[in-house]
Amino acid sequence: MTQDTLLDLKLDELRSGLSAVHAPDSLEGALVAKFRSRPQRPRLWWMPPLALAATIALASWIVRGPVPANEGIVSLAPTTIDSDPPFLALRPLASISKETGARVVSSEFPRAMLADWGLPVSPERAGEPVRAEMLYSARGEPLAVRLLN
Amino acid sequence: MPPEDLQPELELVRRMKGGDESAFVHLYRRHRDGVFRLALMYSGSHATAADVTQDAFIHFISHPAQYDATRGTLAAWLCGIARNLARKAAGWREQATDPDALADDTALHESRIDHDTPLERVLRGEAAEHVRRAIDSLAPHYRDVLILCELSELSYAEAAHVCGIDIGTVRSRLSRARARLAQILAPYREGAKEAVT
Repeated sequence: MTQDTLLDLKLDELRSGLSAVHAPDSLEGALVAKFRSRPQRPRLWWMPPLALAATIALASWIVRGPVPANEGIVSLAPTTIDSDPPFLALRPLASISKETGARVVSSEFPRAMLADWGLPVSPERAGEPVRAEMLYSARGEPLAVRLLN
Repeated sequence: MPPEDLQPELELVRRMKGGDESAFVHLYRRHRDGVFRLALMYSGSHATAADVTQDAFIHFISHPAQYDATRGTLAAWLCGIARNLARKAAGWREQATDPDALADDTALHESRIDHDTPLERVLRGEAAEHVRRAIDSLAPHYRDVLILCELSELSYAEAAHVCGIDIGTVRSRLSRARARLAQILAPYREGAKEAVT
């Protein structure tokens, strides 16, 4: 009999002895009680997007102030089905109509900037760039925006 | 560990994380004996092994997310926890990480003898208890890999992960552990020869 064979024989004897050993039955009850009493963590998957949306809304409100009830975003185009989306007014229509020298500029900026103008932004897409045409006054103030994607 | 389809067990873990008590009970019953036997081998004490088993499963209840299925089986993860708890319970002797700092110790430490529940009775056999005592006399770094690989049947990779060493070191330590154990058991070789013939 080789040394390895003897050793394997001895280890088999120990494995056989151990196979008859079982954890005390009393443990299960204590562990089940522990399982039942463990603190339940509520599922908070909705918290991050909600917090982001709330932050954007709050920042927008602080920077721009509350939007007057009758001065919301107004489309500058008639509500017809068209291939080009309409311009959305960022200033009261009366003041836009008085502007002279306004010009349209193609632009691309972070989608999150839309929140500054009171436009809805999906938190999931806040980091994406957005292509738009901007209507600027002669002084460089944004008067209206048309989102292209 | 023998290859097995892990999906049913991972499904149980997922259900347990969601608060399914029956899934936890199922997992506990599947792994309790393996964890207890490993703790018994490390501690040499029935009472300590019971405490270690309980603490290992409490850890599982409290931190189920720590189990990473990509790193090994749940059995291996639980064995790793039990091994660490048992070594902690055994004190400083188990904490030594430098093999050269520890000579093989053939004397069974008094603190590792279970006076309340003699293991000879627990193991239901003098021969098995004799081998267990021989393993217990090995230096911790040898005993470690021998228990994990030979008795708990962890793969070399799982044992390496549990011990925080590389697979090559597991192989070499296991080889030396077997050689040392064979030396210790050599006086009984003649008796075994007669038993076989």
